[in-house]
Amino acid sequence: MIAQIGFDYNLCTDPLDCRKCLSVCPSVVFVCGPTRVWKGRESDPSEYRIVGRYFDKCSGCGDCVKVCPTNAIQLNFVPREQLAQKFREERAAQLKERNS
Amino acid sequence: MCWVCEKYGNGEKWYLNPENYARRLYKVRKEGKESAGADADPQAAGMGAGVVAELVKARISGDQEWEDEIKRDALEQAYQTHFGQVVTLDEYLQILDIAYPLAKMTCGCRRVQRGMPDEENFTCMGIGPGMYKWERWPETYHGGVEFVTTEEAKEWAMMNHKEGRVQTVDVFGTPYIGGLCQCEYPGCVAVRNRIDYDFKFLLKGHTVAKVDRAKCTGCKSCLGRCQFKALNLEVYTSKAYIDMDQCFGCGLCVTACPSEAIELIDRQSMPGLAENW
Repeated sequence: MIAQIGFDYNLCTDPLDCRKCLSVCPSVVFVCGPTRVWKGRESDPSEYRIVGRYFDKCSGCGDCVKVCPTNAIQLNFVPREQLAQKFREERAAQLKERNS
Repeated sequence: MCWVCEKYGNGEKWYLNPENYARRLYKVRKEGKESAGADADPQAAGMGAGVVAELVKARISGDQEWEDEIKRDALEQAYQTHFGQVVTLDEYLQILDIAYPLAKMTCGCRRVQRGMPDEENFTCMGIGPGMYKWERWPETYHGGVEFVTTEEAKEWAMMNHKEGRVQTVDVFGTPYIGGLCQCEYPGCVAVRNRIDYDFKFLLKGHTVAKVDRAKCTGCKSCLGRCQFKALNLEVYTSKAYIDMDQCFGCGLCVTACPSEAIELIDRQSMPGLAENW
């Protein structure tokens, strides 16, 4: 089974300052970065987003869900083959577009 | 000598060639649209960019050809713009004599992956004329920069080595070296992506660690020093074992050994490892 990790960004509004899930994850699954970069000033905290980039490393321990103060994280597991099929279809579409 | 040396070394190791610390670093310019608040992809945060998001998909799909293509395209780009290589402490100290100015700055990787607050995160050494421009891109230089003297930088570098951090050089617009990192697995995105996804953004160093089994006493002092999963104890013989194929040549195990039982050997002197970058 492979993790599917979702964030409700209406609830997770200042991830870098909160950083609870980033800090607790035993597998370092999350990354947190700015969605906009400005000349002359730092990005606003609200412009930061967390995503589960390394979701293939997620064990499913659920510590991130437990530690999140706003209940912004949804963690589900799907069969690997189901996800593999989805990604193979994405790849096929990508190749088709390239060759057209 | 690695391929970077052949191209940019001028007869020596490329990162010891003063030309690669020159003012042409300025050729790297952010596109104008960024000044207006350019869209950035949080998936792309940290080194390796959005590539890893694609790599994870390719891995899960089991499509090796896809994975190879992602890496080939991404590395072609990376080697022209931004990549890194492991160096030894000795080399690092030599670099500090060549490069100027030197400024401590916060580590983007640890901010991205652990949300480390700036005040605890001054673990990168920014170098060269780019440091004078930090106020233009405060997001890149989150928390500002702290200029240091060569002697302060050396002392700090030795402390980092002692603490067990791998040291690397990083180019910003090949071949201009703009940073020196103190890395670890998995907090460093470059180390992590190399170890977990074999993404060769980070190149191995010019040396390889080799155990002298006659001298090794099995004291275990070196255990825990390796950030590349290349070192363990052979329990039955009670000797340190280094997987030389997997060794990046950082030398952290060498300096931990009280018996001088681990030696750094020139990678090129060993035919079986000479092309293993």
